Amino acid sequence: MPIAQNPLSVEVTLPREDVALLTVEGYLDVDTATEFQHHLANQLHHGRRHFLLDLSAVPFMDSSGMNIILRVYQEARELPGSVHIISPTSAVRRILDLTGVSITVPVSGSVDEALERVDRLPQAPEEDPGS
Amino acid sequence: MHGVLEIVWPTPLPEQPPQIVRQVEALAELCAHTLETYTAPSGPPHRPRMLPDAAELMDLADGLHDPALVLLPYLDASGNLLDFRIQHVNSRFLDPAGRPRAMVSGSLLLEAYPMAAGESELFQRIERVYATGEPFRAKRMNLTALVGQVPLSAIADISVSRHGSGILFIWRIEDETARLASLLQHAQRLGRIGGFEENLLTGEITWNGQLFDLYGRPQTSSPVPLEDLPAHAHPDDAVAIGRFLRTLLHHRRPASAAFRLQRPDGVTRHIRVVAEPVLDTDDRLLTVRGAYQDISAQHWTEVALAATRDQLAHTEQHASERDRLALQLQRAIMPPTQAPLQVPDLDVAVRYRPAEAEQLVGGDWYDAVVLPSRLVLLCVGDVAGHGIEAATSMVVLRNALRGLAVTGAGPGQLLSWLNIVAHHLTGAVTATAVCGLYDPASRTLRWARAGHLPPVLVRGDEAAPLPLVRGMLLGAVPEAVYEEAEVQLAAEDNLLMYTDGLIERRDRSVEESLTHLLTTAAKAPGTLDQRLDRLLTYSRSDTDDDTCIVGIRVG
Repeated sequence: MPIAQNPLSVEVTLPREDVALLTVEGYLDVDTATEFQHHLANQLHHGRRHFLLDLSAVPFMDSSGMNIILRVYQEARELPGSVHIISPTSAVRRILDLTGVSITVPVSGSVDEALERVDRLPQAPEEDPGS
Repeated sequence: MHGVLEIVWPTPLPEQPPQIVRQVEALAELCAHTLETYTAPSGPPHRPRMLPDAAELMDLADGLHDPALVLLPYLDASGNLLDFRIQHVNSRFLDPAGRPRAMVSGSLLLEAYPMAAGESELFQRIERVYATGEPFRAKRMNLTALVGQVPLSAIADISVSRHGSGILFIWRIEDETARLASLLQHAQRLGRIGGFEENLLTGEITWNGQLFDLYGRPQTSSPVPLEDLPAHAHPDDAVAIGRFLRTLLHHRRPASAAFRLQRPDGVTRHIRVVAEPVLDTDDRLLTVRGAYQDISAQHWTEVALAATRDQLAHTEQHASERDRLALQLQRAIMPPTQAPLQVPDLDVAVRYRPAEAEQLVGGDWYDAVVLPSRLVLLCVGDVAGHGIEAATSMVVLRNALRGLAVTGAGPGQLLSWLNIVAHHLTGAVTATAVCGLYDPASRTLRWARAGHLPPVLVRGDEAAPLPLVRGMLLGAVPEAVYEEAEVQLAAEDNLLMYTDGLIERRDRSVEESLTHLLTTAAKAPGTLDQRLDRLLTYSRSDTDDDTCIVGIRVG
């Protein structure tokens, strides 16, 4: 594990086959964004379509962090899939509102709420709905 | 009998011849005469009162340029000396323990200065002078005073003398500065160094003569405050000077900068300025002191050296070349300051501060231009990331917005189009921007934002951000809609657009940083240019990002 001055911890669990829950802890900034992106790219590569990002332990996020979220949002939309932000801290929430990202990427109060939003999404026709 | 004279020898003396005895008698006669010129203490000794010679002594003390005390003996009932009463302190007197003059004057010497009885034997010396009338003078005597129970020593030249029944006690604290002043003055002249000190509370500025010469100003002219330095320097050095002022005044750390001083006589000199902040006990910035040195001769040597070094370093240059290119690109497109726009009843000023590290050159941009419609396009933006990609994207977006604005579309529509441009740029670029169209005729500003901090309106001594209208950052989605807002401005209003280099901090929320920015913006007096300089100088950001500010002031 590379531990930089600003260590970032990303824990990945799979509430469902195609849903990755990434629990992030630490600053999401120019120093840590690449590491975060690797985790996301890895999950994309393994076929996850929905990405739940638990940011409740991210005290600070800058434009680099924001860009990673937008990038995975764009990738997921092509699949099609979705990205959800869960319980952002007020500082991060403020950045999401400021940049208008919260207009596009839904913000949920809990993992369950985010999963409900995933369930309400129209399923892609070519995908097998039962799994 | 009028008196007794006792003469003592350290060893027993044989019987002396008569002429020696006569000489001693003559000496005693002489002494008796001398002693008679003093008025002996009169009246009951345990009730000391102001004697005529004490009053005279106080007058004398007040005329001295050194701290002086007038002491009167303090006797017990049987006339034995117990202590001295501090009868008077002159206006030069400064209590080493920091007590007000009135507290020291009138008290007993040993009560006010218990340490006088200590190692320095000062009290004993005064006692002796009082007893014998023989003055005591000493150079570099170590004086100790108790300051809050902590003994503080000072080296002083002292003089104690008896005048009638009073004692005049004078001291002169040895002043290193005074001792070195002339030495320093010569060194400064030889090194072409000009010294200064600036009191930030009173605005008082002291320059030495050499500094007036460096500046090419007459000794009678008023000194130039540090904050006005950019106005006396080559415009290309504005960034370096801004950084210097920020380190010094905001971070309160010693700072230095090299710049080209443009003197009123048309001469340009290469100057290095070094300065340090002086904080008071409450950590407030009290004064700034420092020196300017003329390094013109040194400068040309360094230029020659640098040229040689550049050739040697050619091989390792490749990696940094891209960074430098980005920097050059940005500088070429956006000079740190820009020639003022000619708009009636509107001042427009812009500032651009590049990131300190070359590899951190970012994609910040500003624009302020009068459109064919006579509306004024005002904009700042920030492309995410750093380096050549960010810089090239910045160029594309800035120019695209300029072009699109000529169509006459509103700011919301402009940002929608700009979003499409950003979305189709290679490399999934995102950017934030705020864009406004100011109508000088109606003094209204229509504006929209794309993920960017809203403009700040400074009206009177209040500063507040405009509302956070909805608007997604540029480039993230193929289609986006941007809400528009309109604000009616009035004469004297200031409006600021800025990039987050001005406020970005890791340890604080945007909110807190913004509050600080608003306070600074509201406080800053003077012209629009001074206001923007102050914002850069006192900004709280710590991320070394590049920073743009566009400000307007309605005339």
